[in-house]
Amino acid sequence: MGFFQDLLHTSRVKSPWLIHFDCGSCNGCDIEVLACLTPVYDVERFGILNIGNPKHADILVVTGTVNPRNAKALKNIYDQMPDPKAVIAIGACGTSGGVFREAYNVLGGVDKVIPVDVYVPGCPSKPEAIIDGVVLALEKLKKRRPEKDTEPLVADLKKAREFYENREDRQVTR
Amino acid sequence: MDFKTISFVILAIILAPLAGGLLAGIDRRLTAWFQGRFGPPILQPFYDVIKLLGKEPQVVNYWQIFCVHIYLIASILCVALFAMQADLLMIFFVMTIGAVFMVVGALATPSPYSQLGAQRELIQMLTYEPLLIIVFVGIYFVTGSFKIDDILAYERPIFLALPLLYLVLTFALTIKLRKSPFDISASHHAHQELVRGVLTEYSGPYLAILEIAHWYDIVLILAICSLFWSTSWIGLVILLAVTYMAEIIIDNVTPRMTWKWMLTYVWAVGISLSFFNMALLYAKSF
Amino acid sequence: MLAPQLIGISIALPFIAAVLCLINVKPLRSALVIGTGVVVSVASLALMQSETISFTPESFLGINPDGLIAILDFALLFVILGIAYRMKNKLIAVLTLLQIVPLAFLELFMHPGENIGPALYVDQFSVIMCMVISIVGSLICVYGLAYMKEHEHHLKLATSRQGRFFFFMVLFLGAMNGLVFSNNLLWLYFFWEVTTFCSFMLIKHDDTEIAVKNATRALWMNMLGGVAFVLALIIFRSQGLPLSLQEIITAESASKLILLPVGLLCFAGFTKAAQLPFQSWLCGAMVAPTPISALLHSSTMVKAGVYLVIRLAPAFAGTVFSNYVALFGAVTFLGAAVLALSQSNGKKILAYSTISNLGMIVACAGINTPAAMAAAVLLIVFHAISKALMFLCVGTIEQHIGSRDIEDMRGLINVMPRTTMVAVIGIVTMFLPPFGALLSKWMAVEASAHLPLVVLMLAVGSALTMVFWGRWLGLLMTSVVPEKAPQAEAQSCFIRLPLLTLAVAAVLISFVAPGLYTSMVLPVLERFYDTDLYISARGVISNNIGMFTLYPVFVVMTLGVIYAVRASSSKRLIKRGDYVTPYVCGLQDSGDSRKLGFKGPLGVWADFKTSNWYMESLIGESRITGWINLVAIGILIILLAGVF
Repeated sequence: MGFFQDLLHTSRVKSPWLIHFDCGSCNGCDIEVLACLTPVYDVERFGILNIGNPKHADILVVTGTVNPRNAKALKNIYDQMPDPKAVIAIGACGTSGGVFREAYNVLGGVDKVIPVDVYVPGCPSKPEAIIDGVVLALEKLKKRRPEKDTEPLVADLKKAREFYENREDRQVTR
Repeated sequence: MDFKTISFVILAIILAPLAGGLLAGIDRRLTAWFQGRFGPPILQPFYDVIKLLGKEPQVVNYWQIFCVHIYLIASILCVALFAMQADLLMIFFVMTIGAVFMVVGALATPSPYSQLGAQRELIQMLTYEPLLIIVFVGIYFVTGSFKIDDILAYERPIFLALPLLYLVLTFALTIKLRKSPFDISASHHAHQELVRGVLTEYSGPYLAILEIAHWYDIVLILAICSLFWSTSWIGLVILLAVTYMAEIIIDNVTPRMTWKWMLTYVWAVGISLSFFNMALLYAKSF
Repeated sequence: MLAPQLIGISIALPFIAAVLCLINVKPLRSALVIGTGVVVSVASLALMQSETISFTPESFLGINPDGLIAILDFALLFVILGIAYRMKNKLIAVLTLLQIVPLAFLELFMHPGENIGPALYVDQFSVIMCMVISIVGSLICVYGLAYMKEHEHHLKLATSRQGRFFFFMVLFLGAMNGLVFSNNLLWLYFFWEVTTFCSFMLIKHDDTEIAVKNATRALWMNMLGGVAFVLALIIFRSQGLPLSLQEIITAESASKLILLPVGLLCFAGFTKAAQLPFQSWLCGAMVAPTPISALLHSSTMVKAGVYLVIRLAPAFAGTVFSNYVALFGAVTFLGAAVLALSQSNGKKILAYSTISNLGMIVACAGINTPAAMAAAVLLIVFHAISKALMFLCVGTIEQHIGSRDIEDMRGLINVMPRTTMVAVIGIVTMFLPPFGALLSKWMAVEASAHLPLVVLMLAVGSALTMVFWGRWLGLLMTSVVPEKAPQAEAQSCFIRLPLLTLAVAAVLISFVAPGLYTSMVLPVLERFYDTDLYISARGVISNNIGMFTLYPVFVVMTLGVIYAVRASSSKRLIKRGDYVTPYVCGLQDSGDSRKLGFKGPLGVWADFKTSNWYMESLIGESRITGWINLVAIGILIILLAGVF
C-alpha cells in the first residue's frame, strides 16, 4: 500500500501538466512562461506539458491582475480542474495587482478569486523563477488528497474575499 | 487452446502496455533530440498515466465512462486475439469496436471541441480502414490465408513480395499513431489547437484508460507491421525500428494538413500503390 | 403435424385472415393479426425440424391449385391494368399489357405444365426465409396495431383505414411465404406480383399526392421486373425447359440458352430489391407509415428479390456473368453507402443502408463460392432482424418527437430512455462484431478477396457505414447528466413487445449463429459444393482461409459490457453532488449551471448547437444520383450482354 502511495506521489511530481491563463496581463509574464517551453529552458524534461485543457491539467498558472469579467472565467476554469490541483500566480500583477492595484476595474491579484499556492514575483518573472515556483507547487501537490485537503484553502479564500470587500477603505485616490 | 497459447496471450496482455508506453517515451525523447533539447525520461508516459489514475474523476455524462471502458476492452481483446494467432480481418473488425466507441464517447458530450474532434476522428477512421483491408487482402494473395498462423508459416518475408503495400500500411500506421501530416484528430503535439478534440471532456482516470488503450493499439498495429518480415528476428527488429524512426522523422518535418487533403491523398495514393503492387505480383507469377 | 400441412397453413392462413381483417371490429382484427402471427411463427419454427421436402398440393378447397393460381394471376394483372387506366398512367398500362399478352401466350400455347415436377420445394433455405418472414413480419404487424391507431389519431381521420392496411399486410405475409416455398415458376410469378401489388397499395395508403406518386413509381419499376420475368418464362419454354426452379439450377450446361432467361430473372430480382438504378422507388416508399417500411421495404419484400438471385446462383456459377453480378452488387453497396452518408432523414438513411446491404448480398451471390453463399444467407437473416428493429424504433421516435430527422434525435436518451437503448442495440448489432451482420460482412469480404475491384468497393463501403452509423449512435447520447433521472416514456405494450423481442433476438441469434449455420445453411450448401465450406466447431467458424472466433469474442465483450456498466453506474461518482459542464474556455457564466452554452461577444448568450456535416454539395443525393445511376445502368447492360 505504501509502495503505491509513493509511486503516486512520485508520478505527481514527475508529471505536472500546466494550464496557463492570462487574466489581463500585459503579456510580459506570458512570454516568459512560453520561454520556459523553448529548448533553452526545456521544461519538458521535467515532464511539464502546457496542456490547454483544464480537465487534463494539475497546475493552473495565472498571470495578470484579475478584473470582474475574467474573474468569472478564472473561477470556472479552476472549478473544471479535477483534484488534486495547485495554483501559481505569476508576476507582480498576479500576486497583488502590481502597479494597477488601485484601478477601478482591477480586483488586485489572483488570490481574490481562487486559492493560490505559490506566488512568483517579478515584472516580468524570470523563467528560472517560474520553474522554481512550479517545483514549490509540486511539493504542495505531492501529498494532496482529492477533496480532503481543500478545507484550509477555502478558509484562505474567505480571508482573501474579505480583504477584497474592504478595498475601498484602503483606496488612496478616488 | 493449449497451455502454451494461453500463457502467450496472458504475457501479451501484460507486456503490451509496457511496450507501448516505452515506445511512446522513446518517441518523445527522439522528438526532443530532433528539436535540439533533452526531453523527458523514457518512463515519462508511465508517470503521466499513474498521475492521471490518482486524480478525481470528473465527467459530463456517464455514457463517456462506458465508452472508454469498451474501447480499452476491445483493444486488449485485439492484442489477445493476435497472440492467439486468429484471423487478421476479424481482428480488424474487433478493433473497430474500440475506435467507434471512442468516437461515440466524444459525441456523447455537448461540447464544441469534442463534437468537432469526434467528426474528425470519424474521417480519420474512414481514411485508414479501406487501406487496412486492402493490405490484408494483399497478404492473403501472397500467403493464401487470412489466418496469422498460416501467414507466419510462409517461408519468405512478405515484405519482398509486397513492398508497396507496406508503404500503404505505413499510411495507416501514421494515422493510427496520430502523427503528422495525418493527425487531424487528437494530435500528440498540439494540445491547445482544437484542444485535442476527442479527448477534451475526459479527465483523470478515464484519460489514463484512453492512453493505455492507445498503447495497446500501437502494439497491435506494429505487430501487423511485423508480419511483413516474420521469418527472422533480426529482420523484424530492423524493419520495425526503421519504420518507427521514419514515422518520428515524418512527424517532425511535416505540418498537419486538412482532412480533405488527407482523405483524397491517402485514398488515391494508397489505392494506386496497392493496384500497382498487385499488378506486379500477377506479372511475376507468369 | 406433417410438413405439408404446416407449409399449407403458412401460405393459406394469412390469405384467409387478411380477408377477415377487412371486418371493422377492432378486437377481432387485433385477435386475427396476433393469432395469425403466432400460428405462422410456430409453424415456421416447427418446419426447422423437417427434412427437405418437395410436393404438389392436390387441391385447395376442392379447386385445382394450378388453375386457381393462373386465374388469380390474370385477375390481378387486369386489376392493375384497371388501376393504370384510372390513374391515366400509360407506362404502367403498357408494362401490364406486356405481361398479360405474353402470359396468355405462355399459358395457352406453350404447355407450361410439362415436366414441371413438384410445385413446392422446401429446403432449409426456404425455412430460414419463412422464419424471417413469419416471426419478424408478425412482430411488425403487431407493432402496426398500436402504431396505426396513433397514426390515424394524428391525421384526424374520419373513417379508419386500418382494415385496408391490415388486409394488405397480412396478405403480404402469405404471399411471401408462398414465394419462398414455390418451385413452380408460374406460382412464384403469381406470388411475386401479389407482393408488388401489396407494396403499391400500402405505399399509397395515406392517399396524399406524394404517396400516390411514389407508389406509382414503385409499381412501374416492379412491373418492369415482372415483364422481364414473363419474358424469361417464355424463353425457358421455347428451349423446352420445364418451368421448375430446381430443374433450372441443376441443369447440365450453363449455356446461353439458360443464361439469358436466368439473367432476366436476376434483373427482375434487382428491380424488386431496389438495386441501383432502381433505388428511387425504395427511397420514395419511405413516405409510407413505418410498419410498411419495416415489413416490405427492409425485412421481407426486398429480400424476395435477393432470394431469387441466390436461388439462381448455382445456375450461373463459374461464368463471366457471375463476375458481373458481383461487380454490380458491389457498385450498389458502395453507391448506396455514399448516398446514406449525405442523409439526415432517419428513414432515408435506413433505406439507403438497406439497399447497400442488399447490394452486398447480390455481390455474394455473384461471387458464387460456398463462403460467399453462406455470407449471403446469413446476411439476409441478420439484416432483416436489425433493420426491422431500427425502422420500428425510428417510427416510435417519430411519433413521440414529431420528426424523423436525426438532428432532432440529439440527446434522445433523456427524452425517451427506453426506446433509445433499444435503438442503440439496433445500431450496434448492424455494424459491430460479434453480431451476425458483421459476421456476414466478414465472410463476404474474405470470399471476395480474389476479385480486386469487388473487395475494394466492399472495403470502402464498409468504412463509410462505420461513419454514418457511428455518428447516429453518438448523437443519441449527446447530453449532460440531468437533475432527475429521466422518466421512462409511456409505450403501448404492442409497441414495446416487438421492440424488445427484436432487440433480444438480434443479440441472441447472433450468439447462436454457428448453430444456425450448421443446421440450416450448411446442408443446402453441401448440395452444391464439396470444398472450401465453412465449418463451425466450438463456436469458431472457419474455413481454409479464415477463422472467426465467435464465442470467445462474444463472451469477452459481454463481460466487458457488464464491467463497463458497473464502472459507469452513477452512485460511485460525482461525490460532490455536482457534475461538470463541458469545456468552453471558461465562458460558461450563467446563473443556472446546467444551461449549456457560453457568453459570446458583447455579452450575448449563445446556446450550444451542433450538427453533423452532411456534405450536401459534395455527395448530396441530387448531385451524385445521376452519375451513380449511369454507372449502374452501364454495368447492367454489360451484365445482360455478358450472357452471350
